[in-house]
Amino acid sequence: MSSAPLAAKSLLVVTGKGGVGKSVIAAALARVLADAGRRVLVLESDPRESQHVLLGCEPSGGGVVTAAPGLFVQNVDPYAAIEERVREQVKVAALSRRICRSEAFRTFVAGAPGLSDVAVLGHALRLVAGAARGAPRVDTVILDAPATGHGVSLLEAPALVADVVGGGPFGELARDVAEYVADEERAALVAVTTAEEMPVDELLELCAALRAGVGRPPALVAVNALYPPWPGDDAPPGPHAELWRRRRAVNDRELARVRRARPGVIAELPLLALARGPALVAALAEALRPHAGGGREGRD
Amino acid sequence: MPLDVARHPLVVVVGSGGVGKTTLAAALGTLSAADGHDTLVMTFDPSHRLKDALGVGDAARDAVARVPLAAAGRLDASLLDAKSTFDRLVARYAPDEESRRRILENRYYDRLAGRLSGVLEYMAVERLFEVTRSGGYARVVLDTPPTRQALDFLEAPERITGFIESEGVRIATRDWFDASGRLKAATRLGAVGRGIEAWLDRIVGLDFLREMAEFFQAFGPLYDGFRERAHEVRRLLRDEGTLFVLVAGPGEEATADTLYFARRLLEAGHRLGPVIVNRVHPQSGGRGRAREEQPPGAALLHWLGERDARGVTDLRRLLAGRPLATLPLLAAEPSGCDELAALGRLLRSRLTAL
Ligand SMILES: Nc1ncnc2c1ncn2[C@@H]1O[C@H](COP(=O)(O)OP(=O)(O)OP(=O)(O)O)[C@@H](O)[C@H]1O
Ligand SMILES: [Mg+2]
Repeated sequence: MSSAPLAAKSLLVVTGKGGVGKSVIAAALARVLADAGRRVLVLESDPRESQHVLLGCEPSGGGVVTAAPGLFVQNVDPYAAIEERVREQVKVAALSRRICRSEAFRTFVAGAPGLSDVAVLGHALRLVAGAARGAPRVDTVILDAPATGHGVSLLEAPALVADVVGGGPFGELARDVAEYVADEERAALVAVTTAEEMPVDELLELCAALRAGVGRPPALVAVNALYPPWPGDDAPPGPHAELWRRRRAVNDRELARVRRARPGVIAELPLLALARGPALVAALAEALRPHAGGGREGRD
Repeated sequence: MPLDVARHPLVVVVGSGGVGKTTLAAALGTLSAADGHDTLVMTFDPSHRLKDALGVGDAARDAVARVPLAAAGRLDASLLDAKSTFDRLVARYAPDEESRRRILENRYYDRLAGRLSGVLEYMAVERLFEVTRSGGYARVVLDTPPTRQALDFLEAPERITGFIESEGVRIATRDWFDASGRLKAATRLGAVGRGIEAWLDRIVGLDFLREMAEFFQAFGPLYDGFRERAHEVRRLLRDEGTLFVLVAGPGEEATADTLYFARRLLEAGHRLGPVIVNRVHPQSGGRGRAREEQPPGAALLHWLGERDARGVTDLRRLLAGRPLATLPLLAAEPSGCDELAALGRLLRSRLTAL
């Protein structure tokens, strides 16, 4: 790859279809980078928090919590992120509260699509710049965004908002975010998929849209939850041998489709007999490490 | 407890993203066609192969396609496209050519019609209204959008009317700007008004506000139609003839999601039919060899089988007597018509056994 390795970027946006393992992969990547000496924050933007279960810490509840030395978690509510921007503009607390609670403002926020994506990305940029209040300085922010149906929209949002909003602080914010996300030295997209038909369909659409938009595919595609390779003639006659063989055949077929799309790096990750939690994250981090391009001691 | 078409002409398939709603909606459709009922399946995000099987590929986007199925009844399928439904709606409900043009030419509309939050959901509801009104089908099976909060879809009618009636829209649709493009209030209120204008500009940028206001104003003439239809659909979704089929993922970690869906449906006054736990790994049974001696795939499948069995047991207990059926993880996703029909038959046998 021409650009900096994943481990050297400051913003990683993790996207993918619902339930494919975005949150687990975001957590595992965070572990890999933290092990390599980076200070990492996983920014979760989903009302149902799961990073604390994965990284073994307290639930964030909106604040920054420490999961391990140099590894942090924050759950961010988009509306709160927007409110914070208003507070900064208006300065008088009582007035900004009135504005944010006014129905006109709520209508503006609800009616302007992409605005909450921009606010969350904007918050991520602040964290990277060390400018977020009450947050530690970090080298990398990993954004674990909720499934939107289509991962593209999160990345299209800044340009869209910048275009329709025009001036004002939100327009400027959107422009800053759009510029940052387009910079391949600093930001990268991590696409997570399972090797099944529908998620791969969506991944291929995402790759095509990215090529047309920012001109490059995702830096990393994590193909998650693969059945173990079928051992062929050595296979045991067990009761579910046939299911194993055919599920893996589906995996192989879909992996081939992913490869044909030529994304940056493909990481193949096994389906593991582990429940959601730190042990699963640790095991996936081991499998991801060689693909992150950081090296254990390499502080880039 | 088979799904009785006479009693439930409308079946709504709900559940979290990725659990197999679209596939099961299609399978349910083949079932009722096999029983001789003319059926329509309305889907959102079928895989490419499923689209091909149903004949709703991109060429047929938003049109109704006949599914090539050897069945006593007709099976049609349609794929929902928010933007074109929106366009149709505007065309139909705009009171005159002038307001129609004003909407369609609004810069906002063009970029955002398909993306405004809730629009896809709302458009699904609109389509549903159109289809059930037309009366061309004995049964309609409705798939729901692939978002995490798939239930938001059901609240789309309430939300849209709430939104329309909200203070915010009343404010937005007011004539804010005078001919010279200044805020009216600002001119009227002199220095104070200009102060307000200044901070509004600082926060959101007046250009943006101007665009928003124009967008909402353009929709003004459509609001009455929206509200009326939203109320109708609200009634339809709570009608005796509407049954909700809840599709759940296997395994213990999916239980919380499933219960959440069930509770929300019941609280909202909907009729919850069978819960279908989909893609359940089979149990191996017996002890077998020690785990370490097994090849990785066999050990994994054994673990998954146990995990899913625990999940189903849990869910059964927590659903306290509600009918629950399981469908096994198939060796490959069904995507052809024959495979869908086979899945439909399997589903029928599981439901009949309840
Ligand atoms: N490689 C794996 N092996 C075993 N289990 C996995 C693996 N990857 C993910 N899981 C499990 O799959 C489930 C979904 O994972 P996760 O929550 O990370 O998905 P997600 O994409 O973030 O979902 P959502 O779209 O709901 O946010 C979790 O229960 C997780 O423990
Ligand atoms: Mg998640």
